[in-house]
Amino acid sequence: MVDTKKIAVAGATVALVAILVTFATSYMSDFDTSRTSTPEDGIKTLELKQAPVLGSDTATITIIEVGDYQCHMCKLWFEETRPLIVENYIKTGKVNLVFMDMPFLGSDSIPASEATYCADDQGKYWEYHSMLFRYQEEIDDGWANANRLQAIAFSLDLDIEQFDKCMTTDDHYARVNYNKQVAVTEFGASSTPTFMIVNTSSGDSQRIVGAHPYSTFEEVINSLL
Amino acid sequence: MYSNYFYILITVGIFFSLFIPLITISEFLFFEPFVVFSIYSETVLSFSLIVILSSLSAFAVSMNIYRAKLIKETRKIGSSIIGTMIGASAGACSCGPIAFSIITTFGTAGSIASSFLTIYEIPIRLISIAILIAVIYVTTKSLSCECNLKSQSG
Repeated sequence: MVDTKKIAVAGATVALVAILVTFATSYMSDFDTSRTSTPEDGIKTLELKQAPVLGSDTATITIIEVGDYQCHMCKLWFEETRPLIVENYIKTGKVNLVFMDMPFLGSDSIPASEATYCADDQGKYWEYHSMLFRYQEEIDDGWANANRLQAIAFSLDLDIEQFDKCMTTDDHYARVNYNKQVAVTEFGASSTPTFMIVNTSSGDSQRIVGAHPYSTFEEVINSLL
Repeated sequence: MYSNYFYILITVGIFFSLFIPLITISEFLFFEPFVVFSIYSETVLSFSLIVILSSLSAFAVSMNIYRAKLIKETRKIGSSIIGTMIGASAGACSCGPIAFSIITTFGTAGSIASSFLTIYEIPIRLISIAILIAVIYVTTKSLSCECNLKSQSG
């Protein structure tokens, strides 16, 4: 007779081991220390410079944030850590910030990213970027559906006709997908937020995975300056 | 039971073997680029639940190991493991590498599962804590009864 108790315990053990192995392999793939630059890093940095930049174009340090607008850890970082970086480093001209989309958490992630570039067409990328994190709710619960994205555009006094045309014709769909590919294949991002802090003069860089507190960024930026 | 240092060690070992991975997955503890421990004000509740969950799991499993050695019966170990796994899986996905692995592997189904575990992280952990409290209560009663019987016969 089959011992169901033993089967249940064995099944639970297998599931636990599977979870631990998934975690270990996923985590270890992000286990990375500071690395020396390669020529490709300079090229990637140049391409990213064509993305909307928060701060001075001539800043020595560039922070590349890889994120998803539905990622709640990205929102936490946006609310808790980013303001301190803006105040102490971006406003002083030492650092600038670039956002790279990695929309993977839900079906509303890609349209949210597209909407930021539609807003960029009208010169309001960072305003729209900020509004998305401010209004973020649960993944795919409708907070970033077409109507809400349009409402955010309306609140920023964007030309709604132009915005709607941009969204319905998917003008920036290819760009968002390209960013996602670059984030995964070139930066090795497998979670959000992931940051690449680059000294654009020397090429030295440091990757930070997760919503680290301000102290981490302060130490890394100061070590790269 | 805890007059035996062996069971204290088991309890402490189980606590840390669950606590450290959970706070790492939930992005309270980072190891790269250096060791950083940080709690945002919005995540205090989540952290507190992890501490409670880890503590209860440690007690539940160690008590059931003791009980299993006492009466050679392992039924409730399964319950404590199930309670632990339910609580551990909540919030484990979020935006982290586990979620990315699940979503890229299972597509839409993975995305739904991952977002479910993230959205209902607090209720799932509370259910897990309730299961573990029940296991501890039942195990404590059982141990009291069995210890009394042994002391009477002994």
